[in-house]
Amino acid sequence: MELGFVSFLCELIGKAIPLECMQMRFMQEAMLGLILVAPMAAVAGTQVVNFRMAFFSDAIGHSAFAGVAFGLLFAISPNLTMPLLAVIVGLGIMAVKQRSGLSTDTIIGVFFSAVVASGLAVVSRYPQAARDMQMFLYGDILTISDQEIAALFGLLAVFLLFQGFAFNKLICIGLNLQLAKAHRIKVMIYQYLFAALLSLIVIFSVKAVGVLLVTAMLITPAAAARNLASSYGRMLWISVIVSIVCAIAGLLLSAQEWLRTAAGATIVICACLVFCISLIFRRHFRS
Amino acid sequence: MTHPLCPNCAHSVSFEHVYVEHDGVRILDDISASIPRGECTAIVGPNGAGKTTMVLVLLNEISFRGTVTFHGYAEQRPRVGYVPQSLSFDRGMPLTVLEFMAAFHQKKPLCFGITRAQRERLIPLLEKTACSHLANRPLGALSGGELQRVMLSAALSQEPELLILDEPSSGIDFKGGEVCCELLDRFRKEKNFTQLMITHDLSTVAAHATHVICLNRRIIAEGNPHRILTPEVLAATFGPHRGVPAPGAIPGTGENCQAPCCGGKK
Repeated sequence: MELGFVSFLCELIGKAIPLECMQMRFMQEAMLGLILVAPMAAVAGTQVVNFRMAFFSDAIGHSAFAGVAFGLLFAISPNLTMPLLAVIVGLGIMAVKQRSGLSTDTIIGVFFSAVVASGLAVVSRYPQAARDMQMFLYGDILTISDQEIAALFGLLAVFLLFQGFAFNKLICIGLNLQLAKAHRIKVMIYQYLFAALLSLIVIFSVKAVGVLLVTAMLITPAAAARNLASSYGRMLWISVIVSIVCAIAGLLLSAQEWLRTAAGATIVICACLVFCISLIFRRHFRS
Repeated sequence: MTHPLCPNCAHSVSFEHVYVEHDGVRILDDISASIPRGECTAIVGPNGAGKTTMVLVLLNEISFRGTVTFHGYAEQRPRVGYVPQSLSFDRGMPLTVLEFMAAFHQKKPLCFGITRAQRERLIPLLEKTACSHLANRPLGALSGGELQRVMLSAALSQEPELLILDEPSSGIDFKGGEVCCELLDRFRKEKNFTQLMITHDLSTVAAHATHVICLNRRIIAEGNPHRILTPEVLAATFGPHRGVPAPGAIPGTGENCQAPCCGGKK
């Protein structure tokens, strides 16, 4: 079902990028989806780097596998089961971390194994499900629906609202928990909210670039920005710009006749190239 | 030293029969001790003695049996300034000193810049700890002593009534003739806060603490450092081979700190 405001934005994108490939509706929708996901992934990515949560986001990404499997098993739309399971896994990891003396890596490792094993178990029982799994391994932004784009708008609004009051507090929490608590920051609430929102962003990023590359989508722009920025504030903006530029460039390149590669992989390759350039910049100009 | 809200209170905090157990292991065993108001109290003990646990009890961050009472504060608990032993961050992260300080106080997200009001408030605080020249430097590029002083500035920006320092470095970072311990002595007298530090550096304790709590899961001794830091108490706290160092001795160097607070001349 087409949504009016999505159609309007798609037409705008078609006019703004007067390339032949961008005159197709599915490409315009994919571009709109990426323009919405990329800045969220970039902001969350800088915080993932700050919190050292790369493994956490990887586990959430892999929960998509189990999410799709459960969707197929219980005949529920994967669009519902994937984000639901991701949030459950994200909050579950945080809850076990708070209540047990185990290291974060161990807890994430257990959840990671559980979600992958669940996905594999379903696939082995129902081989026809393997076909549907492929798009989650490699990403499939070209099939994004208007409803998913509308959901992305909703997530972006909630995420921006959250960042509006939590951005500085998340920096403090990332630096030292006791210090944050001494400054009367309600650490646990912020950690749970961040975990829930990060889980949703990771799931939408899975749609864009696939389970295998989802961590790269979050981490690479932040890593490149870290090489270029002289302050945390600038790092965030550079990360957002790198993420959006790579998403647009990756999608456009992947649609070229001479290339014809998967959009998700091309986006991540673009981000990796920017990272390499940033590394050279850091070596020659900032040292 | 008295307090306007509680003129007769000589103590800022008192612990009464505090027990902490974790997974069946007793970490703190019948702790009864007090922290005098406006003075510098040191908790000393070997690794695993329960020093940090005692501070967590104070901050109400851990479940315990017993009573902890705060005396004479306008709110139920004092405003706490905390200087951690270290910060857990990636050294390559470009968070500047000023951003670090502003993150605790500014409402507007730091990605939109630091407000002029925050700058005007935070720069003088950095000047107090001789760190204003570090304002735009990344946190990861600071030396251990510089980072300690920046964290002290952040703690002081809270205008604390109780300042807790976890293993502060002592006399290792000279800047303008002042060392961390001297800064602390001066601020404590200026602002009249109560200082509590966790340490196993006995030279700092001997030179700066006015009250000491020797801890090894239970209280071994408590009182004036010059009176209670006897070979017997130290043997009971740390084991038999720990002697009392000269006041102002810099750990591991065999030299004496020359800062005025340690008895040296400027």
